[in-house]
Amino acid sequence: MKKSVVSKEYQKLQKDIIELQEQWKTSLNPDCVRPNLDKSAMEAGVPVNALAAIDFDISLFLQWIEDIGELLSKYQPEIETSMQSVKNLLDEETAKRWIDEAFAFNYIYFKSFAEENDLDGWIPQFVAETVLRPYLQMTAAKVQDEIHHGVHGAGCPVCGEPVRLAQLEGEGKKVLHCPRCSAHWNDRRVACSHCGNNDHETVKILTIEGESAAQIQICDECKGYTKVIDTRQYIVKPTPAMLDLNTIHLDFVAQEHGYKSAGETKQTN
Amino acid sequence: MAEYIKYVDVTKCDGCRACMVACKNWNDLPAEPEEFQGSVQSHANVTANTWNVLSFIEHEDSKGNLDYLFRHSSCFHCTDAACVKVCPEEAMHYTDFGSVNVDSDKCVGCGYCVQNCPFDVVQLATYKDKNGKEYKKAQKCTMCVDRLEEGMQPACVTTCHTDAMEFGTQEEMLKKAKKRLSEIKDKYPNAMIYNPEGVGGTHTIYVLAEKPSVYGLPEKPKVPTSAVVWKDYAQPIGKMMLGATSMALVGAFVSNKLFNKEGKGHEEDGGGSHE
Repeated sequence: MKKSVVSKEYQKLQKDIIELQEQWKTSLNPDCVRPNLDKSAMEAGVPVNALAAIDFDISLFLQWIEDIGELLSKYQPEIETSMQSVKNLLDEETAKRWIDEAFAFNYIYFKSFAEENDLDGWIPQFVAETVLRPYLQMTAAKVQDEIHHGVHGAGCPVCGEPVRLAQLEGEGKKVLHCPRCSAHWNDRRVACSHCGNNDHETVKILTIEGESAAQIQICDECKGYTKVIDTRQYIVKPTPAMLDLNTIHLDFVAQEHGYKSAGETKQTN
Repeated sequence: MAEYIKYVDVTKCDGCRACMVACKNWNDLPAEPEEFQGSVQSHANVTANTWNVLSFIEHEDSKGNLDYLFRHSSCFHCTDAACVKVCPEEAMHYTDFGSVNVDSDKCVGCGYCVQNCPFDVVQLATYKDKNGKEYKKAQKCTMCVDRLEEGMQPACVTTCHTDAMEFGTQEEMLKKAKKRLSEIKDKYPNAMIYNPEGVGGTHTIYVLAEKPSVYGLPEKPKVPTSAVVWKDYAQPIGKMMLGATSMALVGAFVSNKLFNKEGKGHEEDGGGSHE
């Protein structure tokens, strides 16, 4: 049976990060996130987060960056200097900018920030994204009861992350899960989660030998793919973030076959 | 690591046999064409290549009504397993999950486990090597240990469409079994939880609608006393004093003298007058 291609150590690091995020969430005032459920905006595919009012606590934000720095340094001691310079660079203004840009997933900004300040390219965005997630997850938890369906092509109805992970639940229902904010919503079993195409001739399944619980749903119309994992077969259900990480080989397989995640498809269309 | 058990609620089973198919499929077990059994049951019992059999029992209840009973049958994964006790090569062993497994590399096909299993679950499979020489290995349900190691439930459990089978921590499953028992007592006055103490409890527990004997199960299975004698006394001394060849001879002698399954009821300890 296939074990995950992700090393045990990296899995452990990710688990520690998720645990840290859970701890951070407990230190947040639940009222700091005030989602505005605008049905017509949601039907048009606007993510809930875009209309939510969020009070960011900058001092908390800076504290979290320190926490994540400590955790990363535990795994990779050479990272400590970089994390120290991140800490020195972040004044209140820059912190606010980071929040905005992380929200918008502006990788260009973070890339140039890294270049200007002589940091490894991945560090600024990784750190900003990690400390933003508790807010996204809190928003998702607050509106989850109102989220039943997504708009095909618009990504996660809460945070806008491109769709790539579905779980089979109950009697075989396909439920899309967002590894970023942990929101989940329903989709039709034989339908492309990106363009909504439900023609059985063009929506196909890729399976991998030895993978009893995972398959990749592909669409020949939009060239998008979704990983579909039968988590009913698991003893303990993993979090969407861990499930997404541990099935990363499925992304490789899909992409090697010429299929893309939704964001890329939208850009090419 | 937490111990896990498989919980089987036979009153929910509708006899679809998907668990049998899932087991064959996952474990790559060959098909075994069988003679007609006189009922819709496919195999008389589990075999070395069929680790999971669905038994169909026509039963007349106390009111004289016909009841059709189904039971998913496979290894019980005893806590105090006789097969582990008697195995001279330590091929039979406990896994981290509490289940019992066979290490095929260590198994020499001696068959003591087959002789001593109180549930008739372990069987020997015959294989041929490239020189045409035949050899035997013990085979039985592994509780899909290769799946458990990946955090997944056994194949039979995941395929069960009536939720007659569930897999989880010992505590959780025992609680579930007790709750279910209280729900079905009115309909099945003889209903009981089958988790025999004589083998230290099992890692496959049942909620049975009728007495165990109705399902062809021993009412009070035990680890045979002979097995205890063999493992705890004869074997350590033998291993200390003798070389491997002599050991095998002693092994054969002890097994013929002590293990006397034929002609003994399941309630017997198997040791009898040989002790």
